[in-house]
Amino acid sequence: MMALERWLIELLLHFAARDEINVFLRSPQNTATIIGCLIAVSGALLGTFLLLRGMALTSDAISHTVLLGIVVAFLLMTDVFGMVGDTSSPWLILGASLAGVGTVVLTELLYRSGLLRQDAALGLAFPLLFAIAVILVSRFAEDVHLDEDAVLVGEIGLAWANTNSHCFDNCATVTISPDHPQAKMARQCRNCRELGISPRDEGAEFVEICSNCGSYSPAQAWQAGYLQKEPSLVFFPKSITVTLIMTALSLLLALVFYKELKLTTFDPALAKALGFRPGVMNYALMILVSLVAVGAFDAVGSILVIAFFIIPPAAAYLLSDRLAVMLLLGPLIGAAGAFFGYDLARGKFFGFIEVGDIIAGLNSLFGLDLPEQWDSSISASMVLMIFIIFTLVWVLSPRYGLISTLIRRANQRRRFDDQVVLAHIHNHQFTDRHATELRVKTLHLHFRWTGRKMGRVLARLRALGLVAVVNGLAQLTARGETQVHAFRGAMLEAHNMPDID
Amino acid sequence: MNDRAPLALSVEDLTVAYHSKPAIWDIDLGVPEGVLMAIVGPNGAGKSTLIKAVLNLIPRAAGRVSFYGSPYEQARSLVGYVPQRGSVDWDFPTSVLDVVTMGLYGKLGWLRRPGRRERDLALFALDQVGLLDLVDRQISQLSGGQQQRAFLARALVQDAQIYFMDEPFAAVDAITERAIVKILHQLKERGKTVLVVHHDLQTVEDYFDWVTLLNVEVVASGPAAVVFSPENLQKTYGGRVSYLHDGQVLAAGD
Repeated sequence: MMALERWLIELLLHFAARDEINVFLRSPQNTATIIGCLIAVSGALLGTFLLLRGMALTSDAISHTVLLGIVVAFLLMTDVFGMVGDTSSPWLILGASLAGVGTVVLTELLYRSGLLRQDAALGLAFPLLFAIAVILVSRFAEDVHLDEDAVLVGEIGLAWANTNSHCFDNCATVTISPDHPQAKMARQCRNCRELGISPRDEGAEFVEICSNCGSYSPAQAWQAGYLQKEPSLVFFPKSITVTLIMTALSLLLALVFYKELKLTTFDPALAKALGFRPGVMNYALMILVSLVAVGAFDAVGSILVIAFFIIPPAAAYLLSDRLAVMLLLGPLIGAAGAFFGYDLARGKFFGFIEVGDIIAGLNSLFGLDLPEQWDSSISASMVLMIFIIFTLVWVLSPRYGLISTLIRRANQRRRFDDQVVLAHIHNHQFTDRHATELRVKTLHLHFRWTGRKMGRVLARLRALGLVAVVNGLAQLTARGETQVHAFRGAMLEAHNMPDID
Repeated sequence: MNDRAPLALSVEDLTVAYHSKPAIWDIDLGVPEGVLMAIVGPNGAGKSTLIKAVLNLIPRAAGRVSFYGSPYEQARSLVGYVPQRGSVDWDFPTSVLDVVTMGLYGKLGWLRRPGRRERDLALFALDQVGLLDLVDRQISQLSGGQQQRAFLARALVQDAQIYFMDEPFAAVDAITERAIVKILHQLKERGKTVLVVHHDLQTVEDYFDWVTLLNVEVVASGPAAVVFSPENLQKTYGGRVSYLHDGQVLAAGD
């Protein structure tokens, strides 16, 4: 991880000075936006396949049960192997992905027993694993930073502060040993507590304790004032690295196994018959979902991450009927949500509307006394913004949106009304009953329509020059005649089309 | 058929059970190369199960299956499969051309992407089933019959030796039915073997030259002219088949 960060920073140093990079990364806004976008991209890529497999809620389950993996790995690390607990350690990530896969396996087993349906099996498996995780956290890991708030919404706003330091120049590491001139030595009573005596009493034994001994990285040494010359340092937020790796892995999976994922998602039976392994692809997908869930865990918590998986692909699904386009649009929508979501948390709506102004407006309009200062959860605002984009798409999508669907239905209804009337006139105009069937005044009665509706349809047909009224009788014009032949032909063709021979 | 013709498919003692209840029971079946075979039987007779078990899509409780003498794993490229239309999500964001191209994924293997050659093959197959005008449609915009023909085209591009089709005639229009029959006969002319799960007893003798009557066990299997008799149908369907005077089948109840 350190090597990757170093490589990244070296890459960045080609484009920007060291100070600029530090200033940029130290801004909570930049860091949070980058992390949010990375989670959105990886989530949407994997979520597209989850959505199409009807497994949207599996991301919910996995994002919760990874907690069990994290906790168990954490306890193993600290209590069994005596390592220092660190929530971004690779071991925790490994534990989390195992827990994610475990959830899927457990669900499969319950489902295969034939006694539970798939959704019930999932609903049983993941609260169980989550409950075990919560008990372990509260019982053994109270002082760790795995508190309920972090589980719920994450701490994306603080991600900038949790960094690895990388030194590029004047990189002196400092080791302070007890004989070092700057060592702070203190005498401490070794047996006072045990004997219940004060250090001044007789029999007290003392040891020399060095309070600042140890080895210091260049960054730590500079901060503690052990270095004369400032090392040139870059501080890189750990969460960016973690989410960047997740995004790279998700991209790799979606690009390299695009064909295999598409086939196993669309038609697992054919995939199996052709020798692809739907089971293997499924578990690969689940492992990555777990990895992204745990990578996002610190930043946005285990509940909100589901929105990053599901909402952007759902919006993309309304915009396109090609998988490749969905895989492009989903991440874009998610990233836009994360980007504008940060603004929303800080009181700006799409960058130009001040939420404070809106609240002030509401206050003055309704005589309310709402606080006008707007400062809310970043991760929740990102999710809200993703949802707002989804709503916009849902309403406005040119093909499957609410408005275009309503318009299309209205058009279809209108066209159908026109055709019904045209066909009626066509069928009767040269028969001996045409005087009764085609009289404009009574035409609506034959259809059981209201006079108003018939008036509207006739007016439209006359305006289009398809129908003429002669002596109070409706008749087709030459154009109307052609029209009737055209749509009847099309209708017949729809039944027969396309011809085989 | 003479006895020395190679068996395209040979099934021995195949049993599949769902929760200890046998779905198909001790199936022995030899299908000669180049026949058009209907698999006929009442609902729950295990027709789809037989196909799926033969293709290793579901676990077998017992039995052995070979294609031209080889087990399925080695004969994959010889086998084409047309699943039931209802087995996939037709709202999936993909085009007709794309679905047909999927038939070639097996030949491409892992990681290799379909290219121009695959596109041309898919277009050729779509032309054969009469869907050339609809190649760029999203698949939910097809009628049921057109969807079935797309599935058929997907099997055609596999260029297999032996085809398995699970109810290709279910709920399709007359045009599609004619198209499928025509394709079946073209396949036969090219020496392919085709096994079709079929429901319409009236058309069995018109469309197929070989029949397997199945009701959990194989009731009879052989040339349609010999096997497709009122006695055998009676055994397969129980008393639920009624006949016209000349022995022609009128209808089979479920």
